[in-house]
This record gives sequence, C-alpha cells and structure tokens, in this order.
Amino acid sequence: MKRKLSPSIGFILLLFLNTGVSGQSPPGKPKIVRCHSPEKEMLACWWKPGSDGGLLTSYTLLYSKEGEGQTYECPDYTSAGPSSCYFNKKHINSWTTYIITVKAINEMGSSISEPHYVEAASIGKPEKKKSNKVVMLNFISFSPGQPPGKPELIKCRSPEKETFSCWWKPVSDGGLPTNYTLFYNNEGEESFYECPDYTTAGPNSCYFDKKHTSLWTIYNITIKATNEMGSNISEPHYVDVTYIVQPNPPVNLSLALNKHTDGKLYLLMNWSSPPLADVRSGWLTLEYELRLKPEEGEEWETIFVGQRTKYKVFSLIPGEKYIAQVRCKSDHGEWSKWSSESYIHLPKEFRLKDMMVWVFVAVLSSVICLIMIWMMGLKGINMVACILPPVPGPKIKGLDAHLLEAGKNEELLSALGCQGFPPTSDCEDLLVEFLEIDDSEDQQLMPNHEKGHPNKNLKSGNKETDSDSGRGSCDSPSLLLEKCKESRIPPAEFQTPDFSETQVKAAGKSSQETQNRDPELKLPDFNSDGVKSSTWPGTQLASSQIPKGSYHNIVEVCKVAFSAMNVNVSAIRMGNEEKHPSKYSKNIETICEGEMTQRRKGESFHSKAKADQALQWLLPNEKSPFLSDKPMDYVEIHKVNQNGALAVLPKQKENSDKTEIYPIPGTTKEYAKVTRVVDNNVLVLMPESRVQGMPVFQEPPKESAQSLHQSQAEKNMSYCLTAPSEFRLQTGGLEYMDPNSFMCSFK
Amino acid sequence: RRSASLSPSVSAGSACLLLWLCLLGKPPGLGGSLCTRGDSGCPPLSVADLFDRVIQHSDRLHRLSAKKYFLPSGNELAKSARRCHTSRMLTPNGKEYAQTIPREELTYVILRLLQAWKEPLSHFDQSTVHHQDLSDDSLSKAKEISNMVHELKTGVEKVTEKMQSMGIISNSLNGMGSSEAAGLSISNEANLMSNYEFIHCFRRDSNKVQSYLKILKCRIMPGNSC
Repeated sequence: MKRKLSPSIGFILLLFLNTGVSGQSPPGKPKIVRCHSPEKEMLACWWKPGSDGGLLTSYTLLYSKEGEGQTYECPDYTSAGPSSCYFNKKHINSWTTYIITVKAINEMGSSISEPHYVEAASIGKPEKKKSNKVVMLNFISFSPGQPPGKPELIKCRSPEKETFSCWWKPVSDGGLPTNYTLFYNNEGEESFYECPDYTTAGPNSCYFDKKHTSLWTIYNITIKATNEMGSNISEPHYVDVTYIVQPNPPVNLSLALNKHTDGKLYLLMNWSSPPLADVRSGWLTLEYELRLKPEEGEEWETIFVGQRTKYKVFSLIPGEKYIAQVRCKSDHGEWSKWSSESYIHLPKEFRLKDMMVWVFVAVLSSVICLIMIWMMGLKGINMVACILPPVPGPKIKGLDAHLLEAGKNEELLSALGCQGFPPTSDCEDLLVEFLEIDDSEDQQLMPNHEKGHPNKNLKSGNKETDSDSGRGSCDSPSLLLEKCKESRIPPAEFQTPDFSETQVKAAGKSSQETQNRDPELKLPDFNSDGVKSSTWPGTQLASSQIPKGSYHNIVEVCKVAFSAMNVNVSAIRMGNEEKHPSKYSKNIETICEGEMTQRRKGESFHSKAKADQALQWLLPNEKSPFLSDKPMDYVEIHKVNQNGALAVLPKQKENSDKTEIYPIPGTTKEYAKVTRVVDNNVLVLMPESRVQGMPVFQEPPKESAQSLHQSQAEKNMSYCLTAPSEFRLQTGGLEYMDPNSFMCSFK
Repeated sequence: RRSASLSPSVSAGSACLLLWLCLLGKPPGLGGSLCTRGDSGCPPLSVADLFDRVIQHSDRLHRLSAKKYFLPSGNELAKSARRCHTSRMLTPNGKEYAQTIPREELTYVILRLLQAWKEPLSHFDQSTVHHQDLSDDSLSKAKEISNMVHELKTGVEKVTEKMQSMGIISNSLNGMGSSEAAGLSISNEANLMSNYEFIHCFRRDSNKVQSYLKILKCRIMPGNSC
C-alpha cells in the first residue's frame, strides 16, 4: 500500500507545527529493519522505531498479500523479541509477495513505515542455488540479530559419584548462532572455570570427569549464551555431587524357575549392579527395587529389595508370561531408570489333582452310559425302533389281532364286516349241499372218495359216540383227506357233499379273507410230493396242499393246515408279530413234529398255535389209536353263509391263555337251531348261544389225557358238514339238531 | 522417648565397649550365655562385625540429619553456606583419594571429624534458646544427633583400637589426642554459623564419615558386602 508523499509530508508538517509548541509530536516513521525466516515456513520481522515524539507510542505491523486489498495485523509481537513480528506458517501460506508496513501511533498521531516486500516463495524453501541464496539473503536478512534469551540449566547428574554432567535448555537465539559457555565455581574458590567437556554428554551439556569432580563441595554453575548481538547468563545453579547421584539401571536381569524344597515353583531373579557403579569398594551403596507384572496385567507389583542382588518370587500364576524390571538408587540419590524388560513364561502346572478330577468324571460318565445301555438292552427296548419307528404294516381297521389270537373269531370277523366268511364261493354251496338231510346218503360224505376201510378205520375211533357210520366215516379225517388227496377236485365236483371240502373249508376258515392266498402262503409245494392238492376253490387251502395219500406226511399235513390257518392270521397280525412266513413254516413244522412226538406227554400244543382256537388239525393216521378214545365231538356253528353252508367250529373256545379246550364227551352239546329250509334240501341252522357250552370246554387241561383232547381239539380245524345221513333228533325239539349228526370232522 | 530412640545407640556403644573389654581382658569360650559387663564368655566380635555396627550407626545418623523438615531446600542452603568449620580439614574429596591414603590416615580423619562435631552439637543443645526459627522437632532431633555422634565416636575409637591391636593399622597415629585438639580448635568457629549452615555442614560431614568408614572397611576386609 503506497501512500502518496504529499499528503504524508503535509501531515507531518502539521504535526510538527502542532508539536512545536508543546514539545510533543506524533511518532516518527518506523523502519523495517529485517525479515528473516528462522525456520521453515516461519517469518520474523523486526523494525526500528522512529522517534516517539515524547509520547507513548505503540506499533502495529500490517501486512497484506500482493494483489489483495485485505490487510492483516501481526499475529505475534512477542515471540521474536521487542519490535518484532513473528509469522508462522498459518499466516504465510501462499506463494505471493507480502507487503509489510509498520505503523507507529501515539496520542498525537501516527506514522507508517515504508512498505517492505517479502517473497513468500523465499520463505522456508531450501536454497538450492547459492547465487539465489545470496540474493535472498540480501533481500530478506540483512539486519543485525537479537541477543539471545536467557539459558537455563535443566539438571546435573552423577551416575557413580565420581563424575557428573549438566544439561541446559537452549534458548531462542534471535536468528543468530549462539554459543554456550558454562562456568563453574568451586566452593571456597574465587575463580571460575569453564566446562572441560561439552561433547561427551551430548548437545547442550557439560561433562565433568573425575579430575574435575570433587565431592562434598558445592559447585556454582552458570551458563552463558552468546551471539553476535549479545549474551545472556543464566541463573546460578548450586550442585553438590553427593546428592545428585542417579545410577544407571541395573543390568543382566535374569529370571529362572526353580523348585523349592516343598515342590513349589518359584521365580529366582538375579541382576547385577550397573557397570559404572563401584559397589565393591563400598563407595556406592545401592538399593534395588523390582517390579513384576503378567504380560496381560495392568498394574505393576513393586518390591523393594534392599542391597541384595537376587530375589525369590513365590506367588505367581502358572501358565502366565511375566515381565520384570529392576532399578536402583544410591543412598541419598535418585532412582535410576527401569532396566530393560525381562520375560519369563511360566509353564502350566500339571496338577495331579486336576487330572484326577477329570479322570473320575470320565469314568463315572462312561459307567453311567454303560448301565443305561445295559438296562435298555435288558428291557428289550429297541433304541433303533424308538429312534426310527418302523413303518407300520397294513392294518385293517377294526380288526384286532389280539382278538384273533384269542380265538374270538366271531367278533373278529364281525368286526371285519366280512360277509364272506365263510367265503362266499362254491364252497358255501357245497357246504349247503352237505346239509342235505338224506338218509340214503350215508356215505354221501365221501361219495367219490371212498377208500374203504382204512379211512373208516381211521375214523373209527373218532366219533363212536354217535355210532353213526356215516358220520363216522364223515368224521374220519382220513376220509376227507383221502378224498381231498385223490384228485384235484374241481369246484363243480364239490357240489356234491364232500367232506374234504368242508374240512378244507373249515380248515381254511380262518384264512378266509381273500380268495387268493396262494401268494401269501409260502408252504412247500406239496404237489411235488405227489400230494393231491385240495383244490378247494382257491380259498382256504388254496395253496395248501392236502396231502393226498400219504398220511405219513403228518408234518406236512400239519403244516398245510397250520399255514393255511396261520396265513391269514399272520396277514392280520403282520404288524404285531415279527415272525416271517418262513419262520412260520418252521414253527409249523416244529409244532407238528412236536405235537406228534409229544402228544402223549401232554404237551400243550394248543399254546403253540397262534390261532389254535380256530384250528382243527388234520389228524394224521397215527392218531387213530387216540381217535378211538375220542368222544363225540361237538361243533359249534360259527357261521352260516348265504348259501346256507355252515361253518362250524369245534368246541374250543378261545381263552386268553389258550387253555385247552377239549370237549367233554357227552357232557354238553352244542345245539343249532334250524331257522329255515332252503331249496327243500338245505337246512339253515342258527347257532344257539354258545355261552352255555363255553365254560365247560374251557377247563384247563390237567390230566394226562388232556393232551389227547387238546390235540384233538386243537387240531380239529376242519369241519365237515355233510348231509346228515343220520341225525338224531333231540328230544328237546325238532328244531334242534345235533350238528354232529351231520357233521363230519376230521379226527 | 529420647531414651527409647537412643537405646540402639547406647547398646551399640556399650556393646563396643564390652567387646573391647572382652577382647582385651578375658579369654573367650565360656559358652553362649548373654554378655554382661565384665563377664567372661562374650563371643568375640570380628572387626567386620564391629565395622558393620559402626557403619549402621553412621547411616542412621546421616539419615537423621538429612530429614527434609530439618533442612531447607538445597539451593537456598547452598547459597547461605559460606563455610563449615570443618572445611579447612583436609579430607579426601574423591574415591581415589580415599582409597589411596593410608588406612591410619583415613581412620584419623574419621575420628577428627567426629570429634570436631562433638562440641558444636553440645553447644547447639545449650543454645537452643536463641534458635527460635527451629521447630521443636528440630531441636529434639538435634539432641538426638548429638548423642548419636558421641556414641559413634566411641564406637569408631573402639574399632580403631581393635585394629591397632590386630596389627591392621599401625600405632603411629597420635591417636585421639591430636583429634581432640583439632576438634576443639575448630569447634569454636561453629558458633558463627547460622542454623541452616550448621545443619548443612553436619549433614555433609556425617556423609563423609559414612563413606570413609565403608571404604575403610572394604579396604581392610574385602569380600562380603563389599
């Protein structure tokens, strides 16, 4: 900012005029002496004041950037000294020319100096070219410097009470290189000496070696800072070496783990005094202090050790990593710095006690597991079944397998709602046909299959009670067998009364549900044995072959019947039992064999059969001796089909415990009531209530002969309904007929 | 309370005396019974043990004198300390000097120092009326210090005699006589000192005694704790 000369001159003249009378005048024009950059991006300017005109004058430094109109005031009037202005990089930050002026103001007026131009580019930039530098220097710094500030002694220290050093703080040098000198004066002496060594202890320091150190004397130390402009002396500092001892930190801190006599681990810490300190001669007496902490810890644990150089630490956490440090102090001096850190990693304690606890827990849990598994095994709980429940097999709604097992076939079958039981087939017709009451047809039971004596003989013992030859023949199971075995009797043939058919039908009664049972049965193919298949129309014994002529094959017979009987049952009870048909056949074999062999032993064959109540085994010919003993067997009519065929059951009503139901000969009779006559030759019978007969026949067998009854009762599954060649009319009424009279049963 | 605090010093001094008596007069070896005055059977104390006791005593003495409340800040004191009455005594002012001068000389210096302070301390006690700027605590401490100095001096004398008897140091010294004389002459100047100067000087001298004793001990018996 340039001012016009004329107005300023005029102004000054006026001022002079004004002051001419009073002796006071406005201030003289100040002059900017020098601008210098002591450090990078910093600037200091000094001015020389003009005359103050006899009044208190204040100075203001104003600066502006070239090209801009805005004027700023000096930010710092003090840092660089009197009559100075100090800019830091906050203010000098753009690469333009700065124009600086100083304004002097007093009560009378003010005056402004000539502007001073400063190139910002020249500030702080390292001078690359010497010529430039010269130029710059000429341009910027051409004014004399400032006397230095007052130095100050920071501290004096002796590491071993034999030497010592002093450090001072450097001062602002006002732009000029400053020299420092240290002077000391011994107590009692007059002269001052200069510091013998300025370098050993570092910058701004003085080192007194042994020669220059005397204990128990007070040093008077001063520092003098000198530069071109002047010098400055610090305040005196009094030092007695005895009391400024600060040793170096101890060295060789070693940590070692040792075992105490009682087995405990402890940490042994060992260190040595700093190398310079002369403890051996007793000159220095050092006291030590330790500090410890775990690596992750926050607070140090400080332990005062005294004059020893080793220490035992007991209370440490195993498995932790510890840091340790040590420091020392002379008797009356100051503590040294902490030594460098030493580490130690404590091993994890393998305490036997802990391991024992874990071992005990493991053993206990394994024992408990074993016990649980054993108990589950004992109880037969199938864990696999619990976890993965088996897929339920087909279950017929309403059909209770237990009922079937128990022998309550009526309920069972009624639940099934099966109208087809006995299966509605030609067999029914045949059955019905068998009901033809015809005296002439004594032998009608086995019209075509008469074998003669053998059969009759077989059956001779069966139902002697009735003394009905026809019945006897009918009763002879062998007859039926004979018939059935002889040939494959087509259904048509069975239109005629055929015991075998009935028998077969009865035999297969229990397995009635479907007419296709061939696939279900897995019996051996008796056909291969030459056994005539009882080609009962595919129903009961569809695949079960009635052994033809070989009564020897009792087992097979048994099997046949059993399996025929059981098949359905098993079909029903698939879900409950886990027996496979193959198993079943085995069982049948077993049972049959067993029955054969143990008949006399009184073994309860009954119990073995599952659906024994419904069974009447085809008795083999071996049974003939027993058959003779057999009393008249009553049958109960189980069902009557639409054709009027009767399905009869031997009088064995089931018991839950499969008690042997054997008919007591002659004691009671099952009576059937004739409901109607069909076709003039068919009697439709309606069974009487069975209750009366039930309990009697459910007496558990207790005698040796029971086996006979059992076997007979159980095995007599087949029924033979024939046209009663002989029937006895009960005295009770015409409507009652003794079913036995027209019944043919296999014995 | 004074007697309680002084009892260690008393016991130390008396122990030294007793031991000296034991060593000189009576042969040892009559069992481990307690040592009483004039009794035989005191176990002989080695010079090292004697030294240790003396050194401990001097340590205590110095600590007592260096208490903060007892002294002004260092710089003020330094400013005010013109001269101690013992400043003119020629004492080794460095480790090398202390290690090189003869043992007898060192012992003598110690004794002289202690002797030099005997008088001023007793005078300090007597002239407490004039020293109003000192607290009561300081006064009591001063009395304690005085007693301790006395005991310490006795102890050092004992050690010296023991050493002389053992031939560790020669008998060429004039002994206590000269120290006494030197001490007396110096102590007169002590009255000119101000309180703070007095204390400061004493503190310094007790430090000297302590250091010299340690050096002496390790010179005579290098080894453990040296």
